[in-house]
Amino acid sequence: MQETILNDLKMPYCPGCGHTVANKSMSKALADMGVHPLDVIVVSDIGCTGLVDPLLTCHTIHGLHGRAVALAMGIRMGLEHSDKKIIALQGDGGATIGLQHLLEAARHNLDLTLVVQNNMVYGMTGGQTSGLSSTEFKEPDRPESAVPGYDICALAQNAGAAYTARTFIGTDTAELWKEALSTPGFSLIEIVEMCPAYGMRKVQELHDTADYESVVTRNPRAVGLPHKAIGRSLLDGLKPIEHTCEAPLDGRLEIIVAGSAGEAIQSAGDLLSTAGITAGLSATKKGDYPITIGTGFSVAEVILSRQPIHYTGIDCPDIMIVISQDGLDKVRSRIGEHTLVIADAKLGPELEELAGPPNLVTRDFRKTGGSKGAALAAIAHWLQDNGFLPIEALVEAASRHKHGDKMKVIIDKAVAA
Amino acid sequence: MTTVNERMVFLDGSRLIIEAMARSGAGAYIGYPITPVNWLFAGAKQRIPIALEAPDEITALQWAAGFSSSGVFPVTASAFPGFALMIESINMSFMMELPMVIILAQRLGPSTGSATTGGQGDLLLLRGCISGGYSLPVFCPSNLNDCWEMAAASVHTAVNLRTPVVLLTSKEMVMTNQNMDISGLKEIERAERHMHEGNGEYKTYGVNGNLAPPFLPLGNDLHQVRLNASTHDMEGITQKNSPEALGNTERLKNKIEQSVDEYTYYEHDRDEGADTVILTYGISAEAAREAVDLLRASGESVSLLVMKTLLPVPPRIYELLSAYRHVVVVEENIVGLLRELLYGNRQHDRIHGVNKIGHMIAPREIAEGVRQCRKPS
Ligand code: SF4
Ligand SMILES: [Mg+2]
Repeated sequence: MQETILNDLKMPYCPGCGHTVANKSMSKALADMGVHPLDVIVVSDIGCTGLVDPLLTCHTIHGLHGRAVALAMGIRMGLEHSDKKIIALQGDGGATIGLQHLLEAARHNLDLTLVVQNNMVYGMTGGQTSGLSSTEFKEPDRPESAVPGYDICALAQNAGAAYTARTFIGTDTAELWKEALSTPGFSLIEIVEMCPAYGMRKVQELHDTADYESVVTRNPRAVGLPHKAIGRSLLDGLKPIEHTCEAPLDGRLEIIVAGSAGEAIQSAGDLLSTAGITAGLSATKKGDYPITIGTGFSVAEVILSRQPIHYTGIDCPDIMIVISQDGLDKVRSRIGEHTLVIADAKLGPELEELAGPPNLVTRDFRKTGGSKGAALAAIAHWLQDNGFLPIEALVEAASRHKHGDKMKVIIDKAVAA
Repeated sequence: MTTVNERMVFLDGSRLIIEAMARSGAGAYIGYPITPVNWLFAGAKQRIPIALEAPDEITALQWAAGFSSSGVFPVTASAFPGFALMIESINMSFMMELPMVIILAQRLGPSTGSATTGGQGDLLLLRGCISGGYSLPVFCPSNLNDCWEMAAASVHTAVNLRTPVVLLTSKEMVMTNQNMDISGLKEIERAERHMHEGNGEYKTYGVNGNLAPPFLPLGNDLHQVRLNASTHDMEGITQKNSPEALGNTERLKNKIEQSVDEYTYYEHDRDEGADTVILTYGISAEAAREAVDLLRASGESVSLLVMKTLLPVPPRIYELLSAYRHVVVVEENIVGLLRELLYGNRQHDRIHGVNKIGHMIAPREIAEGVRQCRKPS
């Protein structure tokens, strides 16, 4: 004889509870289909539906209130294409709490079955109404409430479920179960049932009260499964930076590069760092920009040092390269007495009040480099002037970049200017 | 000039963490977009075999639990706002004994605070996040090399102890690029679960000797598996408070605490004769290293203790600290979370803090804190 997923323990539910009937029909359907209990995983929710685990001979996992469908999705994705049947059991309360999960499971169309045992109340906690309680179902203490219940079959169908069915207890559900359990993809069975303790006691009452009717929908579509890739090492792809020349820098140099979004400030910061490493220095770089990265300021903080760098913060920079008003507005307050400011010519008048010569150098870097190359032009100009790093280090760093040729032209122009 | 074996690259902590976890056996990464963990997510999409976008953080943790219960090792990452949503599901996974790693990258709070400003404000949240006060193992990288080693330790500890583990880091660690010679990175072994073998009796939470039960995935063909987030007996059946079930819950505490010596990681830079130690973790450790250099350069002796295993608090840490007259606890918050974790709310004459929010603590501020505490009052 086919083993069933129900053992012979007595069901723990109140007399007349719909859960008893629903569990028996689930067990019968699986047995009729010849499914072995160890080929079934039941994911149970919190509430009276979740008392089912001890009655089952299949695999069981008993989680949190409302989350059974999400957990079932994780299991399905973990087991991939196995032919194990995954069945999530929820009450109407759990379905309300986890409505997003239900929609998500339908949208992905993962191969699992969700059974919602809808008795329109949270039974375990004393009969509160749920999101599935219908307009005419009243809590004794809240007779004035008149909110319609969610039609979760319609919602699930709309979200992409392969199969949905709503049935009322007392109807023969054998065919529904079989179809749901054998439909590839996400299937939902909603069983509207009694909770004699707090909800309705008669089948007719269910029909009279419900906002919704029996329904079956089918939507054959590709079964979802996450894409599985062969991961590429995140280190092998990094091209080592050769130490090919020497920097005269002996201590630590803190540099801020500031401009606007779209002006390649971050890549200028990366380039400067790479140039430093090429010349045998340690380097760190971090970016600062608004969450809306396509507009506003863009700031790169770079530290170059002869010694290993531990602390990566910059309070008052040694060098500040500023090429736009957005950038200046962002970093103006960080200019210190010893900061050397290298700025685009347009910012000259404003900066002169803050940092008069000799701490200020202005040039028309936009003319040399264009808006995307102005920061690089300013860096090249500064290195040429001060010699902290040999220019070849910057050229070498640029040659690693996909726009390296354009960068080299800008560096040449800046050095010649 | 570059030596033969050297591989100097310019990279961020996110890349090292994800690569180390992949090599340790992470099979799935479940992400959710939140700053500052977006680089981790981006790396995972290239590296981890399955990388998914969950619609929210509760789903992320539920999917992680589903993967773990079917034998795939999951990783997820968030900042406080997302972590807060995960907590109930982390408790679930703790109770079900499902290995996984949650990377928590700290940023300035409270609440959404400032997404792109670093912080160290979540330590006590982790200490209290399991109802009942049980510890989750928590590791904390203090530099790029630790991003590699602590990421691997997180996965291995999660697998060995069958538990969720948190890798606590911060915006500054996972979003700053630094040069590093990666030829010196340690080899990482794949963490293998201790599986139940044979046809004999299997109880999901049955143990013999080892306090972490041997594993079988849901859906295996030989034995019924019963995973349960509610108080349960060894078979996995819900019990209100039976002696067997309470014994099982007590085992969860013992399981984590008993073997802490095996996963205690720290760095102790001892200056013989120093009466003061700087105690710190995470991003503040780098500033502390420079502060130590500053102090020693001016002839002031000081030691440094960097905790890399934060929870459960390793007994070894107290042993080391007991040798010092002054302990200066450095952390980027204004409450003193590590101080409170180790010494409670009571003020102690020998325990001092260097604290700040909104900016990284600078080496000179730490040096100043050390000098202050040694001044005769
Ligand atoms: S309270 Fe309602 S749902 Fe729960 S067992 Fe009793 S009748 Fe069934
Ligand atoms: Mg109900």
